[in-house]
Amino acid sequence: MTAVAIRDLTKYFGKVPAVQALTFDAPAGQITGFIGPNGAGKTTTLRIALGLVRPTAGEALIGGQPYATLTHPRRVVGAVLDAPALHPARTGRDHLRVLAASAGVPERRVDEMLGVVQLEGAAGRRVRGYSMGMRQRLGLAGALLGDPAVLILDEPANGLDPAGIAWLRGRLRQFAAEGRTIVVSSHLLSEVAQTVDRVVIVNEGRLRYAGPLAELAAESSLEAEFLRLTTGALDGAG
Amino acid sequence: MPTLLGVELLKLRTVRTAWWLLAAAVVVVVAGIAGVMGQNPDLNAASTPIDALGHVGVVSLFALVLGITAVAGEYRHRTITDTYLSEPHRGRVVVAKLIVYTVAGFVLGLAASAVALLGTAVWFASKGGSLNLADPQLWRTVVGCVCWNAAFAAIGVGLGALIRHLAPAITVALAWLALIEGVVSQLLGGAARWLPFQSGSALGNLPTTSSGRLTQGQAGLVLAIYVAGFAAVAVWTSVKRDVT
Repeated sequence: MTAVAIRDLTKYFGKVPAVQALTFDAPAGQITGFIGPNGAGKTTTLRIALGLVRPTAGEALIGGQPYATLTHPRRVVGAVLDAPALHPARTGRDHLRVLAASAGVPERRVDEMLGVVQLEGAAGRRVRGYSMGMRQRLGLAGALLGDPAVLILDEPANGLDPAGIAWLRGRLRQFAAEGRTIVVSSHLLSEVAQTVDRVVIVNEGRLRYAGPLAELAAESSLEAEFLRLTTGALDGAG
Repeated sequence: MPTLLGVELLKLRTVRTAWWLLAAAVVVVVAGIAGVMGQNPDLNAASTPIDALGHVGVVSLFALVLGITAVAGEYRHRTITDTYLSEPHRGRVVVAKLIVYTVAGFVLGLAASAVALLGTAVWFASKGGSLNLADPQLWRTVVGCVCWNAAFAAIGVGLGALIRHLAPAITVALAWLALIEGVVSQLLGGAARWLPFQSGSALGNLPTTSSGRLTQGQAGLVLAIYVAGFAAVAVWTSVKRDVT
């Protein structure tokens, strides 16, 4: 089982603290919602976990090891970080072919994933003609190419219509039921409340809550608890 | 590494940048030859075919831009994230790009040379002369210019990795060539022959603006040192920097 472990993670950009002594787990077989206000350090934390940013202190481990030491990283972790991370002149199929080649994954996976995200018809068109929802689905297809045990998704519902959001929720639940580890960062608290098993809330780079959603929102709602934990004094109850 | 090379080649083949630059290079070469021949030069003079073929050296600017897109283009379109997720050992990625784009620059130079030779031969024939293909100077020019293209493509990769922003990197490169090499070199005198474009011109067996010039062998060595320097900087900065 491949879990994600963040241990005492700290990152300073110059003098600015983006993440401070952050510690939490995202266990296998569960969907962990990673939420916080803008600038809370969510993207920085995920980028450190994926080896894109070097931490100032602490560590981020996937299956017990740093991302950079994974032999076939794309077969362990699938990530969608920036929805617009697509070359506009490349076709959807060619974008996936490049990812498949770099992951050492057979090309037939490209057609399989295009089928999963329902982009077969548009695969031959250049990405510059894609809608936001299509770009998001293409990004997801890319993350799934290596059949990874871990999925790290930053705002995956962005640009999806209601049917797409419901489809995504269903797929994520299915992946979790298969034993995969899912970490989803999102601002759509109502959607997070319907999807996740665990919640990690950060504010100003610090942990405010990490634990089961059911315990946090037992007496009120995710939104109410989120706003309570992320506004007001930092030394409020957490 | 073979996988990385294949991936970089696939990236290059699935966008149209290289093809546009090739098309532009062909146009520049043909226009340059037409310009030279339009002045009715002496077909028997040794310098005439060299003047015509020398436009393959100008193609080195296109090779430079192609190299710049290798890394800076990925930052521009944010695909650098996917690239480093697939291969967290960034040094290997940069080396793969250096290899693939140097070869691409070489191919660009070869294609431009073929067009230049053909165009020059056709023009000579239309004026009643014939191109002397046995002239060793002609081949020294062609081979030198092709190598110049390959070297500038590699330097472009390094420059793009250092600056990371596509438009500024291209601007810096062209401004350097126009201002530093074009204008300042007049003031630097003999020392200007060590500058990259001057060295490239010497490698291409073409006239240079600086007084005193390097031999082709010396110029090749100077460019190789530039390539090594830019490659080292490219690898070091790519490994060290955060990708935010």
